This record gives sequence, structure tokens and C-alpha cells, in this order.
Amino acid sequence: MPRDAGGSTYNRSTAEEVPLALRPTLSPARPLAVDRSAGRLFEAFQRVPVIAVIRRAEDLPRALASRVPAIFFLRAPAFHLGPLVWAVQARGKMAFVHIDLIAGLGKDRAGVAFLAREIGVNGIVTSHGHLVAAARSDRVIAVQRLLLHDDLGLASALSAVERARPDIIEVLPGVIFPEIVAQLRERLTIPMIVGGFIRDETGKAAALLAGARAITTSTPELWP
Amino acid sequence: MAVRTAGPSGTLLPAVKDAHSLEQALGLGYRQILLERGSLLAMVGALATAAHRGIAIFVNLDGVEGLAPDSAALAFLATDLMISGVVSVKPNLLRDASRFRLRTVQRIHALDSVGLETGLSSIVRPAPYAIAIAPALAVPQVLELVRQVNDAAIWGTGFIRSAEQARQVLAAGAEVVSSARPDVWSDFRP
Repeated sequence: MPRDAGGSTYNRSTAEEVPLALRPTLSPARPLAVDRSAGRLFEAFQRVPVIAVIRRAEDLPRALASRVPAIFFLRAPAFHLGPLVWAVQARGKMAFVHIDLIAGLGKDRAGVAFLAREIGVNGIVTSHGHLVAAARSDRVIAVQRLLLHDDLGLASALSAVERARPDIIEVLPGVIFPEIVAQLRERLTIPMIVGGFIRDETGKAAALLAGARAITTSTPELWP
Repeated sequence: MAVRTAGPSGTLLPAVKDAHSLEQALGLGYRQILLERGSLLAMVGALATAAHRGIAIFVNLDGVEGLAPDSAALAFLATDLMISGVVSVKPNLLRDASRFRLRTVQRIHALDSVGLETGLSSIVRPAPYAIAIAPALAVPQVLELVRQVNDAAIWGTGFIRSAEQARQVLAAGAEVVSSARPDVWSDFRP
């Protein structure tokens, strides 16, 4: 969506259009500056190594009230994201949007630019190398997902991540990470977080013990 | 579903990639194999011979090279090679495969809860012969959810690196677990 002379038309209109149930409790005002330093996120992980994954808008208030330093939005409505993202940022947390799963938004440079410039996200999450490159040129933090479903795809997935050079790698599913972390470290020096079916303290502890900087989870009980 | 070829008779399914690994698995006494990757066309003779001997062969349509994802390829697998079944994440391809009386194994990627939901919502009608969860180690975590949607047999495929892991997956309720590692095959030798 192009910006008009008076700023984004999107910003003004959605604040009124978002249904009340979806409205965060805090003011939806867009922050003036957005922190896009992956280094500061890693510092925050040393205190609280958990990222809250929001699958449904109902879960957001609980994530906002928790101590997690960052929130990932999955399957959120692209064109109503603004107030949700700004509420996260108003709490001093970083807001990431999973661009692959967002309905209505192109999985291309323009889609990334919309999230970066119009919404003002701290970062994006994607499986695609070309979107990592787009994130870099728009100076938002890029989290690339490394999807481990079988050995077959491992070599090509590792090459793709090496080429794309994201700021952070999210390894999925969590149960595989301890099995494969040594093999990953031989190839990759990029900091890793771990997600996928981490639903209790045992799964969380196993991932952190194996060397994950943080875990991502949609289970509210794991948000400290 | 009418099936004229042998089905898997054991709990471990050796995942092979060429004629050499196929011979290795058959040499250990296995009567069922999964062709996971590699060029199917480069090992047509070995496959046909094995199928003729009553070995149940499953082909991962998303992993092997040399075949188009279409009806002509499925007809070749079913009628010329007499293979038992096919594995794929693609519902349309599996629907076609069932018309050729091939057993259909729908692979579902268990990466996170959102991805699993997407996979489960794509399960084909008529119900597949089995649902293959990848990676296999996720079977204990997702079995209950899968069961709520479908009661087909559960297979575990991908990233099985020890006999111990294979046993865990079977103990969790999978009927078949596949591994590409010959040391794991030896441990499960029938």
C-alpha cells in the first residue's frame, strides 16, 4: 500500500475498524522509533529466554502481561495488525510477524516492506531466503525457520540458511533440536532459537540445555 | 480398499535410496522397504525383481527423482513395477494413486501446532491407508491430535538415528517406523 503525503492511510483507518474484541488494552498509537537490534534481543533472552507465539487474538493480553521480551504473530490478519504490534511495542517488547502465514499479504518484497514501513514491526519470521534478503534491505530483524521433517531436506535447508544469513534461526520441531544441534553447529554460527511442540517445562529445559538462546511457544503456561 | 500386493509385515521400514541399499535391506531379511529418494528409474530392474518376490515397496513420490507427479507415473508404478503404495504430502496425488489401487500414505509435517493443523485439514478422502508423521520423533507429541481427526495407521518417518528412538516411536503408538540407517535396520532384523 503506498504512503500518501499525510502518512499512512492504513494507520488511521484500522484503529477504528478493528473489532473491540481484537483491540489491545493499551493505546494503539504507533511508536516513534522501533528497536531493530538483534543484539538487544539476545541480551533480553539471558533474563527471559521465551518468545510468546500468538495464534489467536485472545491470547495477546496474557502475553502482553508476561515478561517475554518478544512476541511472534502467526496467522494474524495482515491489514489489521497495526494496533496489535504497537501494543506489544508499548510494553517494551519486540513484535515479529510470521509473513508466510499471514493471509492477504504477498510473500514478496512489497509484503515485507509493508510490515517494515507501514506497520513498523521489529522483525519478520519466514522460511524463505528471499524474504530474509528483503528484511535485511528494510533493516528489520530476520528470523528464518529451519524446518526439520526428514534427513532428506536437511542438507538443502542448511544451504538455504547459509546463503540467506538471517539474524536468527528458528529450528523446528523442538524435539529434534537436541538430536541435531551438534550437526547444525558444524555448519552454522547464527544464533538459534527453538520452537514447535514445546508445551511443558521439560521440553523448554531440553531445548535451552542443548544451546537454544530462547524457545518459542504458544502455550501461555510457559510465558513467565 | 482392494490391495493385491503385500503390505508391511514388520514394524521397521528400511528407507533406501539406491539398488545397493535395497539389496542391503533385503539381505537383512526385510520384506518391506520405502524408496525414500534417489532415481527410481536407475533401479527399475531391482525394484521389479523385489516386487516380484513379494517385497512390499513404498515410494516417496516427493523424494524420488525421475517421475512426474501425474497419472502416467502412478500407472507405471502400479502396473509395471507392482509396487504396494506411495507416500506424499500432496492430497491430489494420493487421490489419483488410490484409483490405481496403490496404498496411499499421506505424509504430514509435524513442525509446530499451526503446521500440524494445516496438514490434518488436508487429509484425503477416502481415508489414506496410513498417515506418516515427519519427523518420527514428534509422534509421541502429536498422536493424540491426529487420532482425533483420523484413525488410519500412524507411521513415523524422518530423523530416526538409533534403534532406541525407533522403539520410542513404536511404543508411542506408531505401527511402522522408517529409518535410512543400516545400523538401525540390523538392530530390528526380523
